[in-house]
Amino acid sequence: MVEIKRYSPVAFKVSPKRVEVRDNWTVVLEYDGEGQGANYLVDLSHITRFDVQSSNLDAIKPFGVTIPQGLCESNLQDGLLINRMNGIQASIFCLSGKKPEMPSESSYTETTEVGMCMAIFGKNVFSITEKLTSLDFMDPAKKTPFLYQGPMSHIPCQIITLSRDGEKCGIIFTASRGYGKDMTHAIMDAGAEFGVKPAGEDKFKSWLGSL
Amino acid sequence: MMTRINQLPTLRVDPTKKVVFDYKGKDYVGAHGDTVATALYYNDVRIFGRSLKYHRPRGLYSLDGECSNTCMEIDGIPNVRTENTLVKQGMKVKEQNVKGSAENDMMGFIDKLDFMMPAGFYYKTMHKPASIWPVAMKQIRKAAGLGVLSPDFEMPGKFDQIFPSADVVVIGGGPAGMSAALASADKGLRVIIMESRPWLGGFFDYRTFDYRDENYKNNKQLYSRARELASKVESHANIRVFTHTSVVGTYTNNLVTGFQIGKDNDKFTERYIEIRANAVVVATGCIERPLIFENNERPGVMQVGCVHRLARTYGILAGERAVFSVGHDLGLEAAIDLFDLGMKILCVADVREDGQNPHLMIELAKRNIPYLKGWVAAEAKGGKRVKGVVMTTLDGTISRDFDCDLIVASAGFTPLNGPLTLAHAKLRYDSHTNFFVADKMPEKTHAAGRMLGLEDSLSIEASGVIAGLKAALDCKLMKESYGNSDVDALKSEIDATVAKQKELPGPARGSKFVTAPVKGRKSFICFDEDTTIKNIRQAIEMGFDVPELIKRFTSAGTGPGQGGIPGHNLPLYVAKYLAASGAPPKPTTVRAPLVPTLIATYAGSKHIMMKRTPMDDMQRADGGVFRKIGVWERARYFSDDFSCKKEIENVRNNVGMLDGSTLGKFRIHGPDALKVLQRVYVSDMSKVKLGRVKYSAMCNDDGCVIDDGVVIKLAENDYYFTTSTARAGATIEWLRYHTRFDGWDFYVVNLTDSMGVINLSGPNARKVLQKITSEDVSNSAFAFSGYKEFMVKDTIPVKAMRLGFVGELSYEFHVPSSYMVSLWNMLKDAGKEFNIQNFGVEAQNVLRMEKCHIILGQESEQRTNLLDLGLGFLWDRTKKDAKTVGAVALRQAENDPTRFRLVGFEMENNGRAARDGALIVDDKVRGYVCTARDSFTLNKAVGMALVESHLAKVGTRLEIFEDECGGERIYGTVVPMPFYDPDGTRMKS
Amino acid sequence: MSLTITCPICGKRNGYEFRFGGEDKGPRPDEDSLTPQRWCEYVHLNECVAGVQKEWWVHKDGCGSWFTIHRDTVMNVEVAKPEADR
Repeated sequence: MVEIKRYSPVAFKVSPKRVEVRDNWTVVLEYDGEGQGANYLVDLSHITRFDVQSSNLDAIKPFGVTIPQGLCESNLQDGLLINRMNGIQASIFCLSGKKPEMPSESSYTETTEVGMCMAIFGKNVFSITEKLTSLDFMDPAKKTPFLYQGPMSHIPCQIITLSRDGEKCGIIFTASRGYGKDMTHAIMDAGAEFGVKPAGEDKFKSWLGSL
Repeated sequence: MMTRINQLPTLRVDPTKKVVFDYKGKDYVGAHGDTVATALYYNDVRIFGRSLKYHRPRGLYSLDGECSNTCMEIDGIPNVRTENTLVKQGMKVKEQNVKGSAENDMMGFIDKLDFMMPAGFYYKTMHKPASIWPVAMKQIRKAAGLGVLSPDFEMPGKFDQIFPSADVVVIGGGPAGMSAALASADKGLRVIIMESRPWLGGFFDYRTFDYRDENYKNNKQLYSRARELASKVESHANIRVFTHTSVVGTYTNNLVTGFQIGKDNDKFTERYIEIRANAVVVATGCIERPLIFENNERPGVMQVGCVHRLARTYGILAGERAVFSVGHDLGLEAAIDLFDLGMKILCVADVREDGQNPHLMIELAKRNIPYLKGWVAAEAKGGKRVKGVVMTTLDGTISRDFDCDLIVASAGFTPLNGPLTLAHAKLRYDSHTNFFVADKMPEKTHAAGRMLGLEDSLSIEASGVIAGLKAALDCKLMKESYGNSDVDALKSEIDATVAKQKELPGPARGSKFVTAPVKGRKSFICFDEDTTIKNIRQAIEMGFDVPELIKRFTSAGTGPGQGGIPGHNLPLYVAKYLAASGAPPKPTTVRAPLVPTLIATYAGSKHIMMKRTPMDDMQRADGGVFRKIGVWERARYFSDDFSCKKEIENVRNNVGMLDGSTLGKFRIHGPDALKVLQRVYVSDMSKVKLGRVKYSAMCNDDGCVIDDGVVIKLAENDYYFTTSTARAGATIEWLRYHTRFDGWDFYVVNLTDSMGVINLSGPNARKVLQKITSEDVSNSAFAFSGYKEFMVKDTIPVKAMRLGFVGELSYEFHVPSSYMVSLWNMLKDAGKEFNIQNFGVEAQNVLRMEKCHIILGQESEQRTNLLDLGLGFLWDRTKKDAKTVGAVALRQAENDPTRFRLVGFEMENNGRAARDGALIVDDKVRGYVCTARDSFTLNKAVGMALVESHLAKVGTRLEIFEDECGGERIYGTVVPMPFYDPDGTRMKS
Repeated sequence: MSLTITCPICGKRNGYEFRFGGEDKGPRPDEDSLTPQRWCEYVHLNECVAGVQKEWWVHKDGCGSWFTIHRDTVMNVEVAKPEADR
């Protein structure tokens, strides 16, 4: 009998300490040796994501949350991150980890599986990203949270900056799922000098809660 | 070993920290902070290497790496600039381009043969008869050149890159650069300052003696002023400092590139830096313009800054008895300072008639240093190092010999304009400063400091402040985020600073171009390439009159140091020689990289970013042989038999599974979705039925096929479609491009990576499928071209299609990527009894070829249109209103007899398959082989080819020419297509 | 490498995030009474201005939108929309 399991495109070279099976995903809650106060990389590829497109986007309130008006602005509310990609399109990240019911309107497409998804947070996050992209995360014209659609390690990504505040600095990003392995390697390699560590979902949640 | 002056406040070395390194197999000791060059000099090494052409001994000259004199092999890396490289514990240093040793080079005799090598002698002597060149080349390569790199050399170290963000980039960390950085940063802007030396301070850093001391409060000396500025810069929250960082390129739109050399604690050896700024300040300062006289590069001849910095920064007195031949005040200052440090100064010759700073003259006189106004060095004496010098008046009428071990020679200054000219500044010769100065500055770029000709220290700092404020203004004007409120205040602040600077001394008068009154046979204008002024004269006499061309012909300035040594002297010399023409000196072109840069630094951390399918790990474990195919890593074979016999036979006889996840997959929805499909697909997409799979193709505006795939209707104006692997990345772009004027309301989602694709093929495929689903998958319920959605084990949603690419009963399952491994394992489990096996991309390639199903890019190239491929049946001619992309061109090509046709052929006489890409010929090229293989299924070699239409008839003999066939042809015959299962029974039942 | 392009969605970015989509030649002509000559000109004939031209770009590594900019082809820099076009 083959066991039905879902696999993330991201794998770390550390052993999980605590895991939880959720909707057939084996979600790692904590890895060995996470410790405190480092720069952390968390695989969020299992969190549900949606794409919503409509010529009348302002009329849509995904799960009751408003889609930001301004281009490339984001809105983080009740564990839901909504990013305005352009005039007619937004992406939705259900960061709480719970899988919401797929809205019935045809304007939604589930995109959970389209991309790998990761968060990096800690005080050196932007020292790590500057090794991978020329995108200016510290642009004073931007207010967190905000969306960048641009390349990181040469791969087109959606990158949402959630915080630029000291230890809380952090981003969430997605890129095509197929790049999971090479992207993880690129980030771990760039982050090595800053001691970046893989971490489980709990670490992510406490960071998210601190914002 | 020399004695080091240990107590200087300006020192940048720590003599208490010893660094032991290896030079030619022996241990040498330097101090922490020493460069390799200074450490060697401290250990009495005077000859660092031999020159490129004449094998002349070469030594320390400028201390900033402007020429190849001190290039050496370090830790196996050739051509390392030892003046710019800090010495490290255990370093292995070797001399290069010597036969024997640098001290006793057996090739040294070549120096006497210079008369045989006039300018351009390579071009003129080595090609008649042509057979000479290969022989000559070998000899020349043996004798000439610098470092040697072995072909299997692997670069040690860690290289990476950063792309930091900044508003203002300041190039140069001297007083002007630091002042500029502080001025911009104080206005709230993010500033990056790049300095090529390992510390900030620049031109002030090593100077204690300054007649302008009274200009500073508390009589601050220049070096302490530099350190005061540096600590302000380093502690400023808005300033990021990159030291030991050379700028190698500047470009339009304020792009600045450079590289940083890692310090002891850094995690990189070298790091490439690329910054897109909003404004740039260039404060690179000046280097010295070499004085040209006989043997002007003999070890023991040094520039003023070199000798002065050796003493002040490294605590090393370069010689005991020195003669100065200079053309600027800094030369006088250095003579005075070095005298005070204990050097014997035999005389100071100055080419200037007037303009000397009176304070310095008094100080010289106080020390009884003989001062020769209007004199110049004519010839350095001594074979391997300086033993004396002949000094002469400028007109050559009087001369005097001195016994000395050091000649400090410097004609004047040269601004380091590279960063300006690379960014397209236009240079003009300024007869006051005798500098090339920027006439028209690049946008949002400002120059400051000594490169403008300023010598007064306060004026230099003020010019930095002005440049920094102007850069700040640029940023504020272009970026709303900084608010325009303080723009007016900033403008008046700039005006006020400019007014204040006007009260300070302006650009100083530069020294004129002077050469010693000698023939110039051994007067070198370019050290890297061993070019003498005699060579330049020869070139001019041959008719070259533009410095740029003379540079090419004589190769002056084409070495590692580029324009560092000859960049200024060459145009001045040419202008002087051609004075009659009245043309002003023209600079030669400067190109990136401004300083020699390791290829490894450009390569950086060299991540190769490839896509992997959800099956990647498993297929590798199953023995898949992977290849990079487009952006993907794909399993091409499953054994080391690259003919894939077993994989192919198993699909034909049992059942196989292929990972097809790389296919492009899209959802398109919205009110105008169908219109879009009608625009880009050649078929009538309104006829796509629910529950059915529609195969169609996309063409470009020339009617050439760019993509094929299937379309499935999910609901009204809601479709799922696939594209070829190669087109997946560009499909949305293509749809939007071809509808960009229409304002249609449609939405596309790229689902390529979200769906894994399993291709289950072979006569037993249905039996396998039936085992994992309760869905009726009989031929009647799920027929060829059918489409079904079902759940496997109530959990995994599957989109299933009945297709037949490989020519067998075949299913394609599109499944969420995260579930793919699970579904695959289920099928594998279910298929065990039918001997289910993997097959890879190559097996699929052969299987589909036998069935004559095309792969775009193999059976087509850029010019191949839909009709050439025999796919005209896909094209619906009636939908003119859709303005289908390619339709117009197809209509025009329809009756064109000159077009190629895709044909099937088999090899004659049981011959092997022709190679892909082999040419179909008679007396001309008539086509080419697209794909051909020895078919195990058919027991003969078959293939497809694109040929001229007159060769397309069945039965035509094809003459095939293969690369390196040595005149032998092989032959094939056109046969009907497909070769395998022509009526499609296997595929459809 | 130094080219920057201003995407109407994402703002000013490095040129290599974009793909060139040709000179702006207006919408596709109607197919009725379209001569081969006229069609070929629409598809293949370019002005190749040495100066400022209006052209299409797509933000391929970013938001994916198509838009036009004006570019000085001599200096290879994006320039403001010329007065005449406003």
